[in-house]
Formats: sequence, C-alpha cells, structure tokens
Amino acid sequence: MWKEIGGREAGQIRPNSFANRVKSHRLSTLQLSNYKEIVSPHKGSINSLQVDLTEERYLLSGASDSSVAVYDVQRATDYEGGGHIAKHRSVFVVDKQHEHGHKYAISSAIWYPVDTGLFVTGSYDHYVKVWDTNCTRVVMNFKMPGKVYRTAMSPLAASHMLIAAGTEDVQVRLCDIASGAISQTLSGHRDGIMTVEWSTSSEWILVTGGCDGAIRFWDIRRAGCFRVLDQSQSQLGRRPPLLKRKVSISKSLSAGQNSSVKPRAPQKKSANGNGVRQSSVGRIPAKGSVRQRLHPGMLSSQDRATAHYGAVTGLKVTENGMYLLSAGSDSRIRLWDVESGRNTLVNFETVRLQTSKPIQLATTQDPAVVFVPCMTAVKAFDIWSGKTCLTFRGHYEYVNCCCFSSQDQELYTGGNDRQILVWCPSRHISDGVDAGPMQDQDNWSD
Amino acid sequence: MKNDTNSDSSKPKKRRRDEEIEAESSSSDQENLTFSDTLVALRIMRAQFPHIDKVSIRPFILQSQLYSSVNDRTQVDRELESLRRERVLRVFKLNTGQDDHAIMFLDDYLNQIECVVKRMEEKKQVNLEVFEWFQTHVLDSKLEPSVGHEELCSLLSIVGKVKDEHISLLINAGILTRQLIDPDMYWFAIPNIGSVLKGLSQGRKEIISFLNRRKYKEMMLALLEKKHLRFSPLDMRFHLRDLIGSGHLKTIHTPTGLVVQISKD
Repeated sequence: MWKEIGGREAGQIRPNSFANRVKSHRLSTLQLSNYKEIVSPHKGSINSLQVDLTEERYLLSGASDSSVAVYDVQRATDYEGGGHIAKHRSVFVVDKQHEHGHKYAISSAIWYPVDTGLFVTGSYDHYVKVWDTNCTRVVMNFKMPGKVYRTAMSPLAASHMLIAAGTEDVQVRLCDIASGAISQTLSGHRDGIMTVEWSTSSEWILVTGGCDGAIRFWDIRRAGCFRVLDQSQSQLGRRPPLLKRKVSISKSLSAGQNSSVKPRAPQKKSANGNGVRQSSVGRIPAKGSVRQRLHPGMLSSQDRATAHYGAVTGLKVTENGMYLLSAGSDSRIRLWDVESGRNTLVNFETVRLQTSKPIQLATTQDPAVVFVPCMTAVKAFDIWSGKTCLTFRGHYEYVNCCCFSSQDQELYTGGNDRQILVWCPSRHISDGVDAGPMQDQDNWSD
Repeated sequence: MKNDTNSDSSKPKKRRRDEEIEAESSSSDQENLTFSDTLVALRIMRAQFPHIDKVSIRPFILQSQLYSSVNDRTQVDRELESLRRERVLRVFKLNTGQDDHAIMFLDDYLNQIECVVKRMEEKKQVNLEVFEWFQTHVLDSKLEPSVGHEELCSLLSIVGKVKDEHISLLINAGILTRQLIDPDMYWFAIPNIGSVLKGLSQGRKEIISFLNRRKYKEMMLALLEKKHLRFSPLDMRFHLRDLIGSGHLKTIHTPTGLVVQISKD
C-alpha cells in the first residue's frame, strides 16, 4: 500500500489506476462489518434498497409491512461496544399508520434521481406514491391496474420526469410527476412485468423484463419496442468481431419477425393499447397482408423471443451503458451486449435463484464485479468470466435486494429476515485500541 | 479443483484437460487436428455412455456433465455455441427440470431418427416423406432448440405440400414436442428418450436422498461410485457428473481422496 502511494507520488502510477487499485483491493476484502450496523425498524421482509445517487449518503428501504425507512449511512446515530460499533438508526419511518401510507407490501422504493427531496414507492396495493422527504407527506398518487413490482426513474433525465412502473398488467406505464397523470403506456409484453430499468446511456431508453421471459428495449419517444433480446442470438466475446457481423446466424428467413430492425415509425408521443388486440389476430398462420394492418411500431409485439426460460426477475444496466445483466427464474444470469443485442454467453455459476419475487442486482462502477442475491447468500461474480469471487453468507433467510455504494465500497443487503446487513472492507482493529489477544499471545497467556 | 493423479479415463470426474487426453483421442481421430477442450470432453463422455438394454438410444451428454469436466464454464458455453453453428452437434432442451440441456452429435441424432422411421415403416404408416423433408430442410437451417409453427410449415413446404397430419406424425415420432407455455412453438426432442429421462430424474433423487440420509451428508467418491442405482438405467458416473456440474453436489479434496457432499446454498 505504501509502495503504491510512493509510486503515485513519483508519478509512476496514474491517478485513475491508483484509485482503481485501492478500490479493487478494498472490494476483495469485503466482509460482514464489525464496526457498522444498520438497525432496521421493519417488521416485514425488505424488498428494496437504494442509496441516493447524489451523495451516496442516505439509504432508502421498502419492506413488506408497508413501511419505508431512510438511514444515514455516513453518520451514525449512536455508538456501542465502547465506541467501536456505529449504529445507524433510521432518520424516519413511514408505515401503515400514516394517513396516506401504503396498505400492502411495498415492492420498490427509489429516490428521485436529482436530489433526495422526493422519493417514489410502488406497492402491491396497486399504487405508486411520490413522497416529500422533509415533511413525509404524499405529494402524488398514481393508480395502477395491478400489483406494482418495480418502479424506476432515469438517472440521466434532463427533459422528463417519468416514473416507469412495471406491474402484473402486461403494459408498462410511464407516470409523469410534472403533470400528475399517466402519460404513456408501452405494450408488447405478454405477461406481467417484473423489472424495469432505465438505460444509463440515454434518457429515452427503457429496458423491461417480463414474466414471459422477454426483455424489451423501448424508446419512449416512439411506439413499440425496438429490440427484443433473444437468448439464442449470441456472440462469442465481449463485443462482436468487427468484420463478421453479417455472417453470424440471424433469425430465419421469411416469417417476418425481425427483432433487430428498428421500425421506422413517425415520432408519436403515446402508443395506445389497440396494438395488443391486433396481435392476437396476427397469430393466424401468416399472410403478410394481415400483419401489415398493425402499426409498424407494434410489429414487435409478435416477436416471441425469450431471454430466459422463465420469468426475468432482475435487470441491471452497467454504468457505462454497454452491458445489461439479467437474472431469470430459470436460475441463469446472462450478460447482454446492449449495442448488438446479443447474449455474450458468460456463464455465471448460480445454482438456484429466487423465483417468486424480483431481485435487485448490483454492480461496481467499472463493471468488474456483479453482486447477486442467491437464496440466502449474496455472491459476487467476476463479470467477464462468470466465476464466483466472494460469497457473503449472513442472512438467515432469502436475500431480496442488494445495493453497492461505489464511493465507500460498501454493500448493503436486505432480505426476508427483516435485516439490513452492511458488508465493509476489513479494517484493522489496532487503531490504538486493545482488541483482545494480540498476535503472539493466545488464550492461555497471562 | 481437479484431480490429476490418474490417467485412467474411467476414474474421477473432474480432471485437468491436458495434452495426455488430447493425445489419446488424436490417435483415434486423424482428420480433426484442432481440439477444443469441450469437444474432447464430449467425445470421451460419448464413449462412456452406459449401455441400456431395453431402449435403443444413441449416446447423449447433458450440459451439466460438461460443466463438471471442463474448468471454465464460459469457455464451455462459447465452444458449444461454435460447435452448434458448425453443425457438429445439436442441443435439445429437456423437460426434466430447470435449464437441462442434452447435447447429441448430429450423426447420432440422424441415426436415431432413422431407427424411428424404420419402426414406423414396419407399422405401415403413411406420409413418411415428412421425415426426409425434416432432415434436409428444417434441421439444416434451424439450429436453435425450438421452432415456431409457421416457420416449420414454411420450411417443410419448400419441397411439398405440408398438412397437419405431417406435423402430427413428427410429434408422434417424438421429434417435436409442444411447448407448454406457448401453443405455437415446438421444442426439438430426441425420440425414444422418455424412459431414460424418467430414469434420470429418479436416479438424481435417489442419490440426493441417499446422501441426505447420511449423518454428515457426504461420502467418499470411491465408495459412492461402486453403488448400484435401483431406479435408473444410467450408471452412477453419469449421474454424479450431472449433479456435480449442476451444483447440487460438490467435491472436496481430503487426505484420503475425494469426498462428495451435498452443497448447501
């Protein structure tokens, strides 16, 4: 460590690579924290965790007992154990007793990406609520036709304030905070939608994963989705080879189901739901004229390609916007190249994944490691080779969500056992404090 | 996690794929000089496929068995993909549980279809030309494990008029099966494999329950290999490779040898 600092001082190591080395070293020593603890006031399993995007200081958690809590993870509320263990209690808790609180389980709680003044919660009681953090009051209410599984807001949005909500209904709804109404519905999925994520490279692109196993890319400025990921379309390697693009196997000939052709639709604001009706007509074995009655943006609703043999339970776009990770109820995790839309065939060694609830994945900033909740443990996989680097066992029951704070290299995980556990890089106890038997003593020394 | 002490190919599962194995098969296979590790593993496992008395079935390999024999899983996936594209083998999705895939070399698969066609001819079935059309057109152009109804009809009707009876014949022969989730899609399947698959799931359950009943849920590999399975026609080595590759069992190195243990997730 000192040698590296000397190297940095002398100019032999660049600033970025020095920072990355320190970060990856800290990452490799992640373990259950023995100096930091988050006291969770929840009485139900924790379904969603998010650290705010601006300062990475406040952690927001949503639980199955309709409670939402916020914790300050940088400043402890009190100390225990002679000043060694920092306890972080919640800054505030909102639960069922709140006059406008949710009535059933909260499946998703996210911060407003611009600042921590607002947060958005989605619940199984069919509502998406926008809350003011300082007064803990509900500012806006959106009613959905089914249980809300996930809500998401774009971290890059400069010209819109849309909340994408995935529910058990087949349509994705975009709720607008500025106007207070549901401004758009996106149709194309054939079953409920378990996960929604906004792209990290464009404020207009939304990725959704459904219970039908399909992952669809939507550009919200036009109708229909422009890409459906197919697990059988694959590329061998991180990026497709430069020259061989056209030769690689594409979906066959005449059936007219193109997943990778962008429909040249005029830029219309909203897509209405009548496309869904027409797709059931188009299922009759094929003459081209029946299909041409569909709006060109709705052609993709006939594309049956699946990304997983089961429901898609988790999605994560890497921060550089180039790759997408998806977890499915077939217990596979797949890495997709966003640009070409192909499966990179990286095999992540997972045995079983939770199938009934959506799970939240986390990645590090330069995507090196992906954290996946696998039943009662959280596993960290190397993203390019798929090998398990670290396993975090600490929860007593299934883990639902995990969140990585890249600033401090800390991992927060929440599960069905109502606990939020903190995993920190290990710290030397000998910061001037007696911590028990030192190295050359043992239990019988006096 | 490899045991590379024995060079005998019938011994422990996880072995380092090194030059000695390549030398073994290169002597038998002069025309193919480039070996990927996966292809070598596939050939060896095909040769070790257990002989089943009552059913005539060509050797197939489960994808989980490959994962337990080759070190890097991503490499296995990518090599399988390139072999599939070169039409050396075909991958089939099985219905015995999450994400089970069977790999069969293309010549074996074509042989299997021939046996089925012969049996149908003996029973004086009509419309048997659909198998010809299937082999020449569909198998060649559709390399994925599933096919849609319209696509199938369009591919088959390149040669002649395809009727519903033809498709029913393909399903009866066991070459196509309907997907449960989607009425318009079919899985490609291996004919006559039903009893073997039943034996597969029963054998898996038997091994897992046997190990679960033991006090520490583990057993020496050498002893476990010698056990005879009551409910499965496939041998113990086949099942062990499959269970280790799919993660249900794990092997631990101990001073006395390899120990097989139920993995707790």
